[in-house]
Amino acid sequence: MARDTNETDTALARLSGVEKCYGETVALAGLDLEVRGGELLAVLGPNGAGKTTAIALMLGLQTPDKGEVKLFGRSPRDLAARRGVGVMMQEVALADALRVREHIAMTQAYYPDPLSLSEAISLAGVEKIAERPYLKLSGGQKRQAQFALAICGRPRLLFLDEPTTGLDLNARENMWATLRGLVARGTSIVLTTHYIEEAEALADRVVVMAKGRRVAEGTVEEMRAIVVRKRVDCVTTLSVGAIESWAGVTAVTSADGRVSITTTDAEATVRMLLADPGLADLEVRRAGLSDAFAELTQEPAP
Amino acid sequence: MTVLAPNQTQLGSIPPMSLGRVIGAYLSDAKFESLRLLRTPAFSIPILAMPVLFYSFFGVLLNGGGHRPPGFADMMFVGWTVYGVMGPGLFGFGILVAVERNQGLLTFKRALPMPTGSYLAAKLMMAYVFAIVVMAILVAVALTLGHVTLNPQRLFTVAAVMSLGVIPACAIGLAIGAWAPASSAGAFANIIYLGMAFLSGLFFPLTGFLHDIRVIWPTYHLVQLARAAAGMPTEGSLAGHAGVLAALSAALLLMASRRLARRG
Repeated sequence: MARDTNETDTALARLSGVEKCYGETVALAGLDLEVRGGELLAVLGPNGAGKTTAIALMLGLQTPDKGEVKLFGRSPRDLAARRGVGVMMQEVALADALRVREHIAMTQAYYPDPLSLSEAISLAGVEKIAERPYLKLSGGQKRQAQFALAICGRPRLLFLDEPTTGLDLNARENMWATLRGLVARGTSIVLTTHYIEEAEALADRVVVMAKGRRVAEGTVEEMRAIVVRKRVDCVTTLSVGAIESWAGVTAVTSADGRVSITTTDAEATVRMLLADPGLADLEVRRAGLSDAFAELTQEPAP
Repeated sequence: MTVLAPNQTQLGSIPPMSLGRVIGAYLSDAKFESLRLLRTPAFSIPILAMPVLFYSFFGVLLNGGGHRPPGFADMMFVGWTVYGVMGPGLFGFGILVAVERNQGLLTFKRALPMPTGSYLAAKLMMAYVFAIVVMAILVAVALTLGHVTLNPQRLFTVAAVMSLGVIPACAIGLAIGAWAPASSAGAFANIIYLGMAFLSGLFFPLTGFLHDIRVIWPTYHLVQLARAAAGMPTEGSLAGHAGVLAALSAALLLMASRRLARRG
């Protein structure tokens, strides 16, 4: 099958039709995801969307119930494939008694062609904490140390699961700069995040996940268009159906006498609402990422 | 576009790992595992000090300057070497594996390209390092204060034979670590450690029911080997004792590593 072969050539990691359940909970419900060479792919989504499970599958930590997982064209359980991968996980407690420098040295030993110890330390920006035992690090410093472990093996593909959570502004900027540098040198990166700004700052491509599915995919600009929508809440006598027909309105919900309108043109929507003498309790705000997710994941009306 | 074998194309960008680097990874894991436990007093002090303290108390002080019946000093030495050699494996594997499983370190290590088996090999090496240190201290105490009738060569033979006891200890510890929750792994390890030591007659002769069931304890088989090495009277066949320990170790290692590979 020539088509498959060509696809495999371009994707460093691929999930095809992957389903994964934990007991009754569906973590992934038929997910397709591919990581292409030289890109930074941001995977966005609320908690429980399946982002971490998707990464765990690509790393071979779990096996899918259905579907196929490939890493560098092989099973991710294959050690040779994982030698091309660096990892930063969300929750990991490294050995307290070892210094950051020692953790890096231990991790580097697993890779065929790692950075030198000093390169890894300076690239991750951990010079100041290199001699400190892991126990003595703050939460943010621990994330920085884990980042150093992720990049020290000179990986072709880097998996970062919410890497900047807990970092101060300065450390976050530094990590972003390092990531941009790595991408410029040809490293592919998969980054999960809650923060749309992080995706905006770094990503070539964004995948939005919700309830174990890919609900949107595109460039940062395309995703931003979803997120710049405004939310208008009010009490009104107008019917949901009427509001839905207005220009710019993308979604309308009604609960407890209040109507919530998602719109790309808040001013026009408000002008229309003002025609209603029964209008009360009007509130306009920028739709957050969670609103965008909520809209993307809404079940179609029956 | 040229049709290439996908596997070759994909992996082509990753350099192969030389055998030297693979061996280096095993050694580095073993080094850092030992280093971090030496730096962890909560682990290193009980493991290194307890057998020596117990031996000094029961084998030296209570021996009252060598006035006990002949053979008491030798029995104490042999018994406490068995006790000493079991500690690093039981606690090193039992508690650490349970904690690392619980805290996500094991999952992280499985995501990394760590050579297969290096996680367990590093802990085994660590247990050996600690066991050798414990043996060395016990031999030194025996030679200076212990009133043992065994000559130094016998003492070292016992220590050398006992170092094999690290393996069943690690296997039992690994089974605890693979199944027990992190919060109770330490308690399980302690109960099994002390329970086996006393119920298998390391320090005093057993009678009645306990005597009848003594063969179920791995330490019973281990102490028979130690007594043989010391030239003391033994029960049963030495090959049988070694066989029981080997079979137990193999079975536990296999079951536990399967569970760890699957569940992390």
